Amino acid sequence: MELKPEWSDWCPGCGNFGILNAEQKAIQELGLDFKKVVIVSGIGCSGKIPHFLKIPISGVHTLHGRAIAYATGIKLSNPSLEVIVNGGDGDLLGIGAGHFVNAGRRNIDMTVIIHDNGVYALTKGQASPTLRRGDKPKSLPLPNISDNVNPIALALSAGYTFVARGYAYDVNGLKELIKQAIRHKGLAVIDVLQPCPTYNDIYTKEFYDKRVYYLSSEKDWDPVVRKPEEEGEKMAKAMLKSLEWGDRIPIGVFYQNELVSTYEERIVQQAPSYKDAYPANVEIEKDGKLLTLVDDILKEKKV
Amino acid sequence: MRLNWLIGGQQGSGVDTSALVFGNALASAGYYIYGNREYYSNIKGRHSYFALTISDKRVRSFSFTVDILATFDAETLFQHFTEVKKVVIYNKSLEGTKVEYVQNMEPEIAEKVVSFLKERGYGSTVRDVVEYLKSKGVNAIGVDYDGIMRKVAEEVKLPLSVVERGKNTIAIGASYGLLGLGKGYLESAIRNVFKNETFVKLNTMSAELGMESVPVMFPLKEIPVKKERVQLDGNTAVAIGKIYGGLGFQSFYPISPASDESVYMQAHQEVWYVDPKTGDKRKKTVVVVQAEDELSAINMAIGASLTGVRAATATSGPGFSLMTEGVTWAGMNEAPVVITYYIRGGPATGQPTRTSQADLFFVMNAGHGEFPRIVIASGDHVEAFQDAVWAFNLAERYQTPVIHFVEKAIANAYSVIDLEELGLDKLRADRGDVLLSPPPDYARFKITDTGISPRAFLGSTSMFYTGDEHNEEGHIREASHVREAMYEKRLRKLETADREIPEEDRVKTFGDLDQKVVVVTWGSPKGAVLDAMEELNEEGIKFGVVQIRMFSPFPKNLIRKLLSGKEKVVDVEGSYMAQAGMAMKLFSGIEPTHYVLKWNGRPMGRDEVKEALKAVILEDRKKVVLHGGA
Ligand SMILES: Cc1ncc(C[n+]2csc(CCOP(=O)(O)OP(=O)(O)O)c2C)c(N)n1
Ligand code: SF4
Ligand SMILES: [Mg+2]
Repeated sequence: MELKPEWSDWCPGCGNFGILNAEQKAIQELGLDFKKVVIVSGIGCSGKIPHFLKIPISGVHTLHGRAIAYATGIKLSNPSLEVIVNGGDGDLLGIGAGHFVNAGRRNIDMTVIIHDNGVYALTKGQASPTLRRGDKPKSLPLPNISDNVNPIALALSAGYTFVARGYAYDVNGLKELIKQAIRHKGLAVIDVLQPCPTYNDIYTKEFYDKRVYYLSSEKDWDPVVRKPEEEGEKMAKAMLKSLEWGDRIPIGVFYQNELVSTYEERIVQQAPSYKDAYPANVEIEKDGKLLTLVDDILKEKKV
Repeated sequence: MRLNWLIGGQQGSGVDTSALVFGNALASAGYYIYGNREYYSNIKGRHSYFALTISDKRVRSFSFTVDILATFDAETLFQHFTEVKKVVIYNKSLEGTKVEYVQNMEPEIAEKVVSFLKERGYGSTVRDVVEYLKSKGVNAIGVDYDGIMRKVAEEVKLPLSVVERGKNTIAIGASYGLLGLGKGYLESAIRNVFKNETFVKLNTMSAELGMESVPVMFPLKEIPVKKERVQLDGNTAVAIGKIYGGLGFQSFYPISPASDESVYMQAHQEVWYVDPKTGDKRKKTVVVVQAEDELSAINMAIGASLTGVRAATATSGPGFSLMTEGVTWAGMNEAPVVITYYIRGGPATGQPTRTSQADLFFVMNAGHGEFPRIVIASGDHVEAFQDAVWAFNLAERYQTPVIHFVEKAIANAYSVIDLEELGLDKLRADRGDVLLSPPPDYARFKITDTGISPRAFLGSTSMFYTGDEHNEEGHIREASHVREAMYEKRLRKLETADREIPEEDRVKTFGDLDQKVVVVTWGSPKGAVLDAMEELNEEGIKFGVVQIRMFSPFPKNLIRKLLSGKEKVVDVEGSYMAQAGMAMKLFSGIEPTHYVLKWNGRPMGRDEVKEALKAVILEDRKKVVLHGGA
């Protein structure tokens, strides 16, 4: 399609711009076939991202909380597509938390990017599930009364096989993380620290700039599970690391495990024809004549 | 000839298996069968029953009043003795059991039974019931279940506790014995159902001893079977229909009475198809996903539909309540998704395993905003199969959600039908306006006269979807004139559908439409109405029947044509508010004059519908409420 770029209607200085640039570059640098890339998003400021990319990918801007469900249907019907989910922290960890957790159980080969800004930005800044108790960004009338969820620990326990944290203003670093996540075989999640200058005056660029550090800069940090027996230890280390928050905030890859089979592989195990004859790759009619044969299964019902 | 038989017992005690064996035996002797299954939302212990009508001709309904009542526990006798007309088989060793001792019976039911007996001067034991029945001219046959089981246990050398599980087969044997058919049919039915050698032996022997304990009372002859026949329940009919229609993706969250459809598909996820390029027979996979909830189920299916596969979900009321937001997204994004909606009793959890027709208006209006939706309703097992294909064709042609109603009364009932009734060769695929190789300037929501835009699939080019109002390219737009144009485009599709879909496909007619009385119905009551009509015709009572098959777009012209000027328009349906009647009035201006309604969770029986129609037609009763069913 001829490109008519959409104007990105985010506030000036919004962290979403960093994610947009990093994601777009990652797709380009990986040399993906644009028409095979589908960005599925939720509802919120973050959810508008597929419309703003300047490369001809496809976008499915879904419902609040449901992006993972749409992505699941898309990917399993057509596993040849590269599916990326972008959603807000409210979207993925609040209203869509059930899907976020259950997606981990399936380990479908796709990537989930959380725009973690601590607020429900598009509804004018209410507390999101990642906002810490006692925090009072300027948009909250009272300090936040609930504790936060820890997206990294949640993803680890849910079964995500690539778990990382990125920072929206480190576009290059984030781009590399997104590339790794896309290349990863299995379900990847990146929790992206995304300042919202309009509503969140606590977790700002200034706040993060001096705190974030890459895990890879730590001597001995090796998040990759290479043998089944390493799983417990690496998972425990990642969990422990996920608790670090304060003067130093780790970003980078917390955990990666490609030994776990993907959902697609599990389907092939049960139904070998899925490898080639997956739903989007089969014709169901010719000139109006239905091509599926049900004689066998009707025979089971013969009396 | 119609013979009505009912067997009951505790859930988990083999009532379903018994009905299956009995039905199979009679089907292979050449008979047609309609069977209705009633059960509690419970796994073990509550009362369940199966009512069968056996006929030498195709039959589409069952009757609550039965010729033969087969029982092996006391509760079934207590719950159903008022419904039996000719023969009851009961367990002799339970003669002393009192209603009050049957723990698993709901107290309100026990009370009703006790006072019924008391008012007629009887006590509350099985023996009292038997005496009462005898006084009514019913033949009560006490079978020595305990003696038979002891004999079987000795013979097969198994503990009595194992043999007891074959108690139901004794009841089957006794029922079968009344019919005087050769025991070969029953024996092969047992072999087909049980498979395991020991169980085959145990059950065959139990059945034979059961047979020997009764005289032949309803002699039946074998009927030569000329055509291939199948036995289909509603869940399976829809599942096979969807698969035949080219289903690629089905998501579901477990709920009664819908999930059996999806579980069937899981068991048949690889199916054969003909590769159109080579003509070879190959296997393909239907992806069936058990989702984490219905929010996920509907939205997975919608996502799948965007890749060009035929995608569906199956649910019932509580699940659909959760799905409504997703349905609006499908409406907004012109996504062809099919929702098979098994109606059960609501609101809330309601009656999970009982039938209802009360969700019609909900579905007609479910979801915020205005968008085209197509709503169809099957009235029997053949339609359930065919409509599964029709639903996909409609969804893809008009690029909009299709809700296909199948009630619990159809889902859990079964019919023996001639295979040719399914019309496999006549069913066609209509994928609508599809662009496999879209041009570079493709716009998913191109505005057209019909409202239908050429549909390309994800993966073939760049395209955008959004639940926000959007322009032709699928990008978010709030401009008022774009809003108007898109809004109208979408709703124009409903007008296109209304113009294109023949009203004759949306309404079926039966009987004599020139009569002054016309019965209007939809969904599962169809079978009872049609079979009651046959019986009433024999009594000289004639009328026409109109079955509404599609509620949106509503076949208003044909309904007007068929019903204008009638003396009586009798609305037969399963809701308190007579919702189809309301819809008819809303869309066609024609209001029913009489009503036959039911909302107790049990399907309509042929017997009660017949009586009700008589009361309406002969005595001009304006409204009859049906109460049939334990
Ligand atoms: C079912 C539903 N409930 C509520 C809303 C209103 N709503 C729109 S965006 C949003 C919150 C967005 O927060 P988040 O997901 O964190 O995204 P952000 O705007 O911060 O990127 C809410 C509650 C909605 N669109 N749908
Ligand atoms: S409100 Fe916050 S998240 Fe939304 S666009 Fe503005 S800065 Fe970005
Ligand atoms: Mg947010």
